[in-house]
Amino acid sequence: MSTILTYVAIQNGSPSRASLEVLSHARQLAQAGSGVCAAVVLAPGASGVANELARYGAQKVFAVNHPAFSRHLNTPVVAGLEAAIAQARPSLLVFPSSEGVKDVLGALAVRTGAAVLPDVASFVVKDGGVEALRPVMAAKFMARTRAEGDLVLVSVRSGSYEASEAPTETTVEEVAFSMDESTLRQTLREIVGSTAGAVDLVDAQVVVAAGRGVKDEVGKQLVEELASVLGAAIGSSRAVVESGMFAATAQIGQTGKVVSPDLYIGVGISGAIQHVAGMSNSRTIVAINTNPDAPIFDVATYGIVGDLYKVLPILIEEIKKKAVVVA
Amino acid sequence: MKFCVCIKQVPDVTAPIQIRDGALSMDAGRVVLNAYDASAVEEALILTDGTDGEVDVVLIGPEKATETIRKALAMGAGRGTHLVIPEGTELDSGAVSHILSRNFEGHTYDVILTGKQAQDTDAGLVGGMLAERLGLPYATNAVGLAIEGDQLVVTRQGDTGQEIIALPTPCLVTCSNDMNNPRIPNLKGVMGAKKKPVDSTPLAEIPRSTIRVLSYEPLPSRAPGRFIEGEPAEQVAELVGLLELS
Ligand SMILES: Cc1cc2nc3c(=O)[nH]c(=O)nc-3n(C[C@H](O)[C@H](O)[C@H](O)COP(=O)(O)OP(=O)(O)OC[C@H]3O[C@@H](n4cnc5c(N)ncnc54)[C@H](O)[C@@H]3O)c2cc1C
Ligand SMILES: Nc1ncnc2c1ncn2[C@@H]1O[C@H](COP(=O)(O)O)[C@@H](O)[C@H]1O
Repeated sequence: MSTILTYVAIQNGSPSRASLEVLSHARQLAQAGSGVCAAVVLAPGASGVANELARYGAQKVFAVNHPAFSRHLNTPVVAGLEAAIAQARPSLLVFPSSEGVKDVLGALAVRTGAAVLPDVASFVVKDGGVEALRPVMAAKFMARTRAEGDLVLVSVRSGSYEASEAPTETTVEEVAFSMDESTLRQTLREIVGSTAGAVDLVDAQVVVAAGRGVKDEVGKQLVEELASVLGAAIGSSRAVVESGMFAATAQIGQTGKVVSPDLYIGVGISGAIQHVAGMSNSRTIVAINTNPDAPIFDVATYGIVGDLYKVLPILIEEIKKKAVVVA
Repeated sequence: MKFCVCIKQVPDVTAPIQIRDGALSMDAGRVVLNAYDASAVEEALILTDGTDGEVDVVLIGPEKATETIRKALAMGAGRGTHLVIPEGTELDSGAVSHILSRNFEGHTYDVILTGKQAQDTDAGLVGGMLAERLGLPYATNAVGLAIEGDQLVVTRQGDTGQEIIALPTPCLVTCSNDMNNPRIPNLKGVMGAKKKPVDSTPLAEIPRSTIRVLSYEPLPSRAPGRFIEGEPAEQVAELVGLLELS
């Protein structure tokens, strides 16, 4: 019986939403092919999340417990996954795509002789291989792409699948792992501008994204206030990351992150193809822009042609009123 | 330090591209130096400026891709290696990294740079694959690089912050375009590039790709949207009403 293994990323002590989405799809594929749905967790105290993963259908949890995984460095993660693969012997290893995963996928593929399909929007097991749809050309097109091999690695863009529960019994298998610090050949000195602990942009249900139309501190505060009243994460275009107004962790698009919230509100963003590549999968898209010809309106569900400095203060007040009515 | 930057020629994704019979047809035919690789070249030039360091570039591609090597030379790189493949040959990242790793045998570069991904396929695999094949420590998605003695200090854009990582040389780093704004070659650079050495060799053996593109398809289309008209107060009132329903 073949095993489909899902890599579960831990964020603030719990599995990330993107991991649970991927695990839910892997479970359905395992059921369809009468295989085993398993998960692998690399974290200090990895076995602690086994019960939660069982709720999403993980029949086995491979736990690689080690303090080396409390912070991301590629050498330990590649080695940890290599050990987990040797023990679990999966035919398919599925990842939620993230910068941490992108950092290890290529090296792991070479290390394990696996075929690899990065950043897919969807995938199925078909005729003894894996067939995926991958956005290409700055997400202008989909490439139907096929991989064959004894082991195939697939990373999935966030929001491609819904997380769904299907509780099962689970067993935890510890994966023996040791790390000789002296062989690491890399030192993580520090992490700056950390947003750990805040609403993660990729996992957020509502995103307010700022672009170059947000020109100053006043505009930035309006964006922050709108995000705050909506409980939203803040995203941005590349232009305002370049200007230093927003952190690079907020960047949405081809270079930045892929988001797929229920609601995306783009404020003063033109909608360049490289930005749209990271948000076109959002359920409802609202765009606020002074220029009626801005390409962002081509993908918007609701377009407001207007000055963000006039529209946002009213929008913030209206949402505050609603929140009071609801409460 | 001696740098080698792996560069790719890619179609300009902002040019009109259509799908015909499941294949991409790029009539406009515009090709460019992959933006992420341009940033890698720029960073190597900045780091070696005023030192005895060197910047080489290597490209796998058809005959016509020489123009992309010339572009990097015009920016300021010293010499180019062109590994020539027949026009229309499809290589996946695994095959590219295989060819590049053989090319690096017998070379002594302190730092190999790649782009974080190719702009056309967005695969983002070659860097890590090449590092693994060469047994080099590596970092990906760099937004900053600095030389400290014989170490390279990489600022990497991670999921929740910027990770500052020190690597011993030799090492490999994949670069984001958030790192810098690549210089536009001036006339002197363009003229000078014509005289710089490009070592061009046809590839005798092309490794098998394990990933195959079966066809290209349009994106699933979004339901058409609409503008909300009126004064700001009216627009907001209507929007809030619409969002409550959905
Ligand atoms: C390889 C590559 C990768 C890239 N990756 C990314 C990426 O990941 N993410 C990304 O975002 N970009 C990316 N870019 C850059 C992209 O091409 C655009 O340059 C960028 O998205 C533009 O940002 P912007 O929309 O904020 O700015 P602009 O294009 O300058 O748009 C500003 C908009 O604000 C509007 N505006 C001005 N004033 C107001 C006002 N008072 N009220 C309302 N609206 C107003 C204007 O009408 C305009 O439409 C990439 C580019 C390349 C080449
Ligand atoms: N044909 C090529 N020749 C040289 N370098 C390449 C080639 N293809 C990819 N690369 C390098 O590998 C990086 C990542 O490519 P990819 O894994 O295909 O997204 C690119 O940014 C280049 O630096």
